[in-house]
Amino acid sequence: MPEWAEPVARYLLEQGLVGTLRIAAVSLALSTAIGVTLGTLLTIRFAPSRALIRLYIEVWRGLPIIVTLFIVYFGAPAISLRFEMDPFTAGTVTLTLWGSAQIAEATRGAVQSISRAQHEAASALGFGWVGRHVSVILPQAARRLLPPLVSLLIGIVLNTTLIGIIGGAELLEAAERMVEVVNAPEPAGFGDRGEFPIYAGVMLVFFLICFPLTRLAAYLERRLV
Amino acid sequence: MIVAATYDLFGFVSENWEPLLRGLGRTVKVSAIAIFGALVIGIVFGAARAHRIPILGQVAAAYVELIRNTPILVQIFFLYFGLGQFESTRLDVFTIAWLSVMVWGGAFNTENFRAGFEAVPYGFREAGLALGFTRFRTFLSVTLPIGGRIALPSSINTYIAVFKNTALLYVIAYEELTTTAFQIQALTLETLEAWTVLGLVYLTLVWTLSALIRLLESRLALPEAA
Repeated sequence: MPEWAEPVARYLLEQGLVGTLRIAAVSLALSTAIGVTLGTLLTIRFAPSRALIRLYIEVWRGLPIIVTLFIVYFGAPAISLRFEMDPFTAGTVTLTLWGSAQIAEATRGAVQSISRAQHEAASALGFGWVGRHVSVILPQAARRLLPPLVSLLIGIVLNTTLIGIIGGAELLEAAERMVEVVNAPEPAGFGDRGEFPIYAGVMLVFFLICFPLTRLAAYLERRLV
Repeated sequence: MIVAATYDLFGFVSENWEPLLRGLGRTVKVSAIAIFGALVIGIVFGAARAHRIPILGQVAAAYVELIRNTPILVQIFFLYFGLGQFESTRLDVFTIAWLSVMVWGGAFNTENFRAGFEAVPYGFREAGLALGFTRFRTFLSVTLPIGGRIALPSSINTYIAVFKNTALLYVIAYEELTTTAFQIQALTLETLEAWTVLGLVYLTLVWTLSALIRLLESRLALPEAA
């Protein structure tokens, strides 16, 4: 083991991984909230709202995420400086646009899979549209939403690496910094070559996080659907 | 608001269409190579997984799990910088461009084809073997045409994702569409115009391909499924 292995690994985990998990957690929460709301609204038979939500879904699912990131981070401030964001916010907004589009589509399917009779029974009990969906339909649809939610979590964790491109603090960005430190000549750095072991290490960290999650997603798919 | 007031999409396109078109050409070229490679990888490894071929099947499984559970951006970094550390494994940018998206697409396609081949009823293969076909011949004439059709929609989805992922080649400065648009707006400061054009081109192509899937799906659907 080279002498830099321990401090580099420590930096990657304490600075990089923590940043990755923070962005992933916030993006997942926002994506779920917005996605479930939009997906439920998409089941209403009202053409204008349907068309708008459909457009939202197709645009943010259709664009490469890196293009969305550039639009949010560089494009939006060109419209108005009020839209200027730090990399963390821009990254979270980007992943939320993409994630909520995925969840909206999954929610639509899940909500429509609940039988007509459930809607009628809830209405007969005096529930309005909101109460009926919040208290009766969505709790049942949640079972079907679980596998896509786990898949979304995996997708978000993998895609947090994009935020490093605009200089946001996450694992890949941390790795780039550490490669610079290791490769810099002494005394500033270690005068070694760190690319291969450091990027291989980053891959391993992502694998250790995502592999159990893909197993979980597959298991839920078998059990719940 | 000053920048937005000078928004001139037409002027931007008429001044920059040449480099943009060249960028799009590279995007399409890399995508085409990667998609073809992913198709071959998908069929070979998918068959190895579905028919539990020793060694090759396990190799395919490990490959699929490694690629699906790590960010493609880190894979690109690993190929470019990680392998670039050693003289003997250093690759040029173009090779990394198609190789990285092909390896990624191949892993997802392996799963698509595995699922497709596994969905072919065992009786069909038994019938092929009973007719005196070898196992390989049975695969070519029975499992591949039927399972391949079942796998088609999901594999086209993978190809669309491969096409979208070429935008990530920006990080190794391969001059495809996204890199080109980025460079132009860095020079001309026409940020909004550049992202508008970029977004519209990607959406047009992705939406067209998605519409094609739906068309293909209805045309190629197996008779009994229709």
